[in-house]
Amino acid sequence: MSDPSLASFEYLEKLPGTTFNKLYEQPSTALAIFRRMLPHLAKTFVMTLLYMSKPLPLADLDEWVEPNSQRERGDALSTLSRLHIVAITAPSRDNPQHVSLLPNFRKSLRYALTGGGNHHSFGVPSQDSDPDVTIEALDEYATSQWEGILHYLVHSVGGGRASGKLSESVTTLLTSGDLVRRPGSGPGAHGITKSGFSFLLQEVNAQVWTLLLLFIENSELLGMNSVEVLSFLFMLGSLELGQAYTTTTLTESQLHTLNQLVDFGLVYIPESTPTLFFPTRLSTTLTSDATALRSVGAGFDAAIASRGGESQGFIIIETNYRMYAYTSSPLQIAVLALFTKLYIRYPNLVAGKITQKSIGEAIRHGITADQVIAYLNTHAHPQLHKTPAALAGGPVLPPTVVDQIKLWQLETERMETIPGFLFKDFQDFKEYNDCSKYADEIGVLQWKSDGKRTFFVTRHEQLRDFIKSRKAREAAK
Amino acid sequence: MSAKRKASLGAIGSSKAAKGSAASTPGPATPRSSGDDDYISEDDEDGIEIEGKAKGYTNNAMKKAAVKFSVSTYKSGAPVARDSASQFFDIGKPDAEGPWSRDYSKLPLQPDHANRPLWIDPSKGRVILESFSPLAAAAQDFLVTIAEPVSRPQFLHEYILTPHSLYAAVSVGNTVDEIIKVLEKFSKTPIPENIIDFITSCGKQFGKVKLVLKNNKYLMESSDPAILQRLLQDPIVGPLRLHSEGDDIMTTSAPKVGGLVIPGTKNAAGLQQASGADQAPDEAPEDIYTTLNEDEDDDVLEVVQSFGIADHSVETVLHHCLELGLPVLEEYDFRNDDINANLDIDLKPHAQIRHYQEKALNKMFGNGRAKSGIIVLPCGAGKTLVGITAACTVKKGTLVLCTSSMSVVQWRQEFLKWSNIDESDIAVFTSGEKTAFSKSTGIIVTTYSMVSNSRNRSHDSQKMMEFLTGREWGLMILDEVHVVPANMFRKVTSALKTHSKLGLTATLLREDDKIEDLNFLIGPKLYEANWMELAAQGHIATVQCAEVWCPMTTEFYQAYLKSENRKGGLLGIMNPRKFQACQFLIDYHERRGDKIIVFSDSVYALQAYAQKLNKAYIYGETPQNERIRILENFQYNDQINTLFLSKIGDTSLDLPEATCLIQISSHYGSRRQEAQRLGRILRAKRRNDEGFNAFFYSLVSKDTKEMHFSSRRQAFLVDQGYAFKVITSLHGIDKMKDLAFNSPMARRELLQDVLTANMDEDKEAFGDDLFHLGDNKASAAARKKANARRTAGSLRDLAGGQDMAYVEGNRSRNKDLKKNAKESNPFFKKVQRDAAKIKAARANMLA
Repeated sequence: MSDPSLASFEYLEKLPGTTFNKLYEQPSTALAIFRRMLPHLAKTFVMTLLYMSKPLPLADLDEWVEPNSQRERGDALSTLSRLHIVAITAPSRDNPQHVSLLPNFRKSLRYALTGGGNHHSFGVPSQDSDPDVTIEALDEYATSQWEGILHYLVHSVGGGRASGKLSESVTTLLTSGDLVRRPGSGPGAHGITKSGFSFLLQEVNAQVWTLLLLFIENSELLGMNSVEVLSFLFMLGSLELGQAYTTTTLTESQLHTLNQLVDFGLVYIPESTPTLFFPTRLSTTLTSDATALRSVGAGFDAAIASRGGESQGFIIIETNYRMYAYTSSPLQIAVLALFTKLYIRYPNLVAGKITQKSIGEAIRHGITADQVIAYLNTHAHPQLHKTPAALAGGPVLPPTVVDQIKLWQLETERMETIPGFLFKDFQDFKEYNDCSKYADEIGVLQWKSDGKRTFFVTRHEQLRDFIKSRKAREAAK
Repeated sequence: MSAKRKASLGAIGSSKAAKGSAASTPGPATPRSSGDDDYISEDDEDGIEIEGKAKGYTNNAMKKAAVKFSVSTYKSGAPVARDSASQFFDIGKPDAEGPWSRDYSKLPLQPDHANRPLWIDPSKGRVILESFSPLAAAAQDFLVTIAEPVSRPQFLHEYILTPHSLYAAVSVGNTVDEIIKVLEKFSKTPIPENIIDFITSCGKQFGKVKLVLKNNKYLMESSDPAILQRLLQDPIVGPLRLHSEGDDIMTTSAPKVGGLVIPGTKNAAGLQQASGADQAPDEAPEDIYTTLNEDEDDDVLEVVQSFGIADHSVETVLHHCLELGLPVLEEYDFRNDDINANLDIDLKPHAQIRHYQEKALNKMFGNGRAKSGIIVLPCGAGKTLVGITAACTVKKGTLVLCTSSMSVVQWRQEFLKWSNIDESDIAVFTSGEKTAFSKSTGIIVTTYSMVSNSRNRSHDSQKMMEFLTGREWGLMILDEVHVVPANMFRKVTSALKTHSKLGLTATLLREDDKIEDLNFLIGPKLYEANWMELAAQGHIATVQCAEVWCPMTTEFYQAYLKSENRKGGLLGIMNPRKFQACQFLIDYHERRGDKIIVFSDSVYALQAYAQKLNKAYIYGETPQNERIRILENFQYNDQINTLFLSKIGDTSLDLPEATCLIQISSHYGSRRQEAQRLGRILRAKRRNDEGFNAFFYSLVSKDTKEMHFSSRRQAFLVDQGYAFKVITSLHGIDKMKDLAFNSPMARRELLQDVLTANMDEDKEAFGDDLFHLGDNKASAAARKKANARRTAGSLRDLAGGQDMAYVEGNRSRNKDLKKNAKESNPFFKKVQRDAAKIKAARANMLA
């Protein structure tokens, strides 16, 4: 489970079971969820259960799991049940618990793997094609569209120099998503917001998902069917780059979605043939693991690199924590401003200082010290590479500054908060002990106090079931 | 410059505060909102510099200059253009003309900007120098002349243009046009209009008024009667004019009656003199004569007029003149001074002056006259030699003022070592020794306190003082100018009549802004050396600096949180983890063969540490002879490798053997102390060994105020290019044997000791440096009284129930040394030798 998918993951978890049922009618959705959202053990479980005719006793499933991997097992099962992929029968006295795949999901996944059915779920490839539309052209189109959005974010202050080519619907979306505030929308309120900054530093794939989720939420307000929109997005993820697809089989809301996605750069519709659409790399990688493997730091770079131009290093860090960057790019300056206190700007140089405060600020935005250091490292000015230490294979940045940045982060990490649930008032120590032990096994236990017979967990669903079944067993005795 | 602008600068703090709220609207994420508060606190030690300096002056001369630099001119001068990144550079509330911002991205770049090394900040006069540019060396030389260095790390240096630095530049002989032309040549962008204005106005005003000493009276002198007239009508300067009867020059108010001085007929080569004995003596001085004469042709035969002012009002007048935009020049045309007798002194042929010393002296004697001012060189970089060379150049009666009687002796020795001065011509004036030279002129070495202490003078010193105040001196050398309180300076400078003053220091820093006073009492900073460069060239040692973070133990931290200020500080110092770190480091470095000095401001901690670790220590109350004995042992006895020093060791203590420094407590956020202490190891003897590093550790208790102070303290050194490595855990400390306070019990006992410690005993920590040496007796008496204390307590306490336990202190190592010293008395040595001889003879006989 990589970070970028988390947003979509959380969004999906909030959906009701009926929505899932409808979603899983589309094989592409089932496949996408399977590929993108599941941990490896869960995938194994699903594949095992896929062609089983009857429910499997939970005890048998446990047989396949090594005893010391109980935590992973619990994790996999809870994910599966939260996504409404498996059903686990309630524990009772007579019947041991059974586990089975929900029928819609099973059917769709079978279709997805073996083919068949008449669902158009993986799009309808068109025989026609446009010779002008090459993969390179598509990439270029996607990049320029996406950059337009990023530029709108960073340029949002100075009257929107780059916003010209951005469609009204996109800017509305960005505003409603609180990524950016528009001039005049409040007293002195304009410019990029905190979430906008976090957005800027996300990996492209995560950025796309963030925008798409915003779009889905928005579309519900417009009376569109979010299930259709979602399944359309999952479909997009299974399309092939460079292949033309027809729009004729799409529903009304899907067509509307398609038009919106053109603005994002996820699909391309040639003007000459409006019934055809080409997915770009942004959409074909939506549900694949390939981009998810890229680190967040790479995304950080990607956001910068998209500005083009300076590929070589431009930042000098001194041992007195002063930072000098040879740049004139507002995007780069905006990124530097995330973790440095800028002082002065010349045509080709920006000077500032890294302070505990500025780093603390960055960390509060969710940027880690390692990210900052990695960023400084990759963009270090050639002069920094020429120091005797660097030539001898040593560090490029002054080690004291690097250490200090890390220490500043450590300072902020002395306390952390974890949301969760407190269990207390157990009948006796044995009950407390069993429950806390179980919680520990499934990996949700955060803290316990034997004296107070109290413990704290991050999730309670499974534990609730466990307590119920335990009570049932007790009662049986 | 409208009044509004001035006000806005004055109110910059408040407008920033106001801006905080304005900026909060874009969301807490924007770094802009975060930055604002630390404009005042941490960030802009430099940015605020001009503003800070402005504070130092009672009136607004500097403010004017600062305003000239800042707000208004930005608007008119630099083109305004905004883009999305501009917001990060905004520093004021947006007004009708838009926010005022440090975004100068629309300044045009010169076509060949890549080859030029400088950026100039139109708002503050800050200059950034690219040190890796091909022209950097030339640009650096130039900048050192016209600007003050702010930070000089490895790649990009920062300087700041100030009125003082520009006056100094102009006085060395650079013309305004030249300065601008050269700046233009180096700058990547065209020079902003206001910077040109600033340089021009500074340059033009400079040198109009001079302060000269004549017949033991101070005269304000100018070639322009209108200016003198203006001064006389000034409400502040006018009344200070000296109306002395019987002196016809002074009685009338008309300046035309003023004394007639004809300057500059034979200005000889001060420059050549300054570069010292390494130049061939037969180099033709005539050449320099002619060139210099050409320079000064225009003011030859110019008539100057003057009026006298009283000795005590000199500072006020200087001060006010700067406010009037008429900075007063203090120069001494010593070549043409026929009234004061010449002193026969010259550098010995073997004295080699290093290049930076030469540069410094060039700035002092740049135009063949001696300018008053301050030269800043790192500790161990040969300040003394600079002073001696200056004295050899002026060749007049010279006064040397130092901080302690120990350095008086050192100065005298250095004079005899480097110059050919006759021993009878150099006299010493201390409480122990009062001699005067026999001839008409000579050198006197004394201490600040001897000269400034006006009460309780013995008859001898009284006579000596009369001798000192009764004559004119050519040069006064003020050693370690940074430590001396300003009012002591005032006494010294008003009592003694000198033509020129030379201040020497390593750290021209004070946390209390008083440093600005030195500009009037002595003169502007003439030269400041680059520490890193000197270290790279091997003139001073390279130092590895480290800050060791010592977590507080639980019990100490609890007590710390509950305690009041001073006790809290002591708890931080006595933190057992810090003690262990100190013990570990001492052990580690002693085994490496280092000589270690441990600094502690707190005398309580000093004694506790030193006694527990069984090391020698020196503090204010250590008697002079014991001090000398300990220091000698530290230098020559390989059994004594660690020495604990209180703050009396911060300055002027010359211990080239020391190679490692540990600091366990310090004076709040004093950057000066940090730099001075570092200075103790810069002159390490072994500095030129291959790969030699000296070590400087600062032990800091985590989560206490020490952390905050520590970063403040390091600011100066960090700007000089030193890198402080943070050490969070000492590798191997857990394996060390005999680590002190390793058990909870021991720690609790220590805590009890600290909590019951009498803070008054720790007085020295809050007094002032070396100037307490004289009145030791009183505090020693107080200490004796305090030694036995009655405390109310229960029987349980006495039985040890409250962690109070029987104490057995370690014997002071100091006493051991004393014993050793006695044994090495020649007489006992002889006895021992004889005994050994007899023994050997007997053995022989038996064999």
